[in-house]
Amino acid sequence: MQKKKIISIIVFPGSNCDRDLKVAVEKCLNCKPDFVWHQTSFLKKTDLIFLPGGFSYGDYLRAGIMATKSPAIKEVIRLSKKGVPIIGICNGFQILTECNLLDGALIKNSGQLFKCKNVFLKVINKNRLTGGFSKNEVVSFPIAHSQGNYYVNPEELKKIEDNEQIIFKYSTKTGLINKESNPNGSVNNIAGVTNQKKNILGLMPHPERAIEKFNCDDGLRFFNSIIEML
Amino acid sequence: MIFRVYVNFKKGILDPEAEAIKQTLKHMGHKSIKQIIKGKFFDIEVKDDKDYFIEIEKISKNLLSNPVIENFKIVKK
Repeated sequence: MQKKKIISIIVFPGSNCDRDLKVAVEKCLNCKPDFVWHQTSFLKKTDLIFLPGGFSYGDYLRAGIMATKSPAIKEVIRLSKKGVPIIGICNGFQILTECNLLDGALIKNSGQLFKCKNVFLKVINKNRLTGGFSKNEVVSFPIAHSQGNYYVNPEELKKIEDNEQIIFKYSTKTGLINKESNPNGSVNNIAGVTNQKKNILGLMPHPERAIEKFNCDDGLRFFNSIIEML
Repeated sequence: MIFRVYVNFKKGILDPEAEAIKQTLKHMGHKSIKQIIKGKFFDIEVKDDKDYFIEIEKISKNLLSNPVIENFKIVKK
């Protein structure tokens, strides 16, 4: 057995998927993650950082913006520059775009509704954080958000497409990417992207809520990919 | 002195709330409405009469607006 890995989950006031993430990490990665409170101003060595879903600081002003001013995020930015892998899920994705670690922004769903359902996602590009999935495969994770409409201007969009930074797109069960399979109006059905260096991943769907057989368990493979990467 | 910062979406960014308001106005019989732009404003009061414009501009850029999707305008009151 290799050396135990240190996995950090940053917790903000209003985070609500931190415990689900802990359960998923314990189940799949066989290690106990560290909860890091948002006021922590120094993060010791960590092998992976999760930014969980929820409503950090009540999502006041804009979803994710308040969290970007917290001491813990300054550490996340510092460590991201050293190449530490960072995964932001839902509100975590919103935080990553608000602090410019990822391109684009997440605005209100085009249909105005809070969307809470299982969706299908097509794997567009391979990434070391999602190594267990193969290109063009269709997986299923739940979504639960009201501000998951990914927007990026056409020039940036071309850049992230050319650099293979788009990891997941909303699709039908058979992998068709169309308007009907887009739950929130995201540009080109984008559900998950990485930064240019590909060590930071943000996605709106919740893999940590897809680790039990009674719902869908594609999340297990998401977390199992992480073991291999670490 | 008070600085008022207006923030609204850039052109081309879909604002479903503004769309819904427009639809409701149509249902109310206001057929002439072409477009609604919804925004927000912040009144920031500073403690003396010095010119804090550059500081307010920084605040608007770094916190009050997201330059990817929003524009802002500062008006001295």
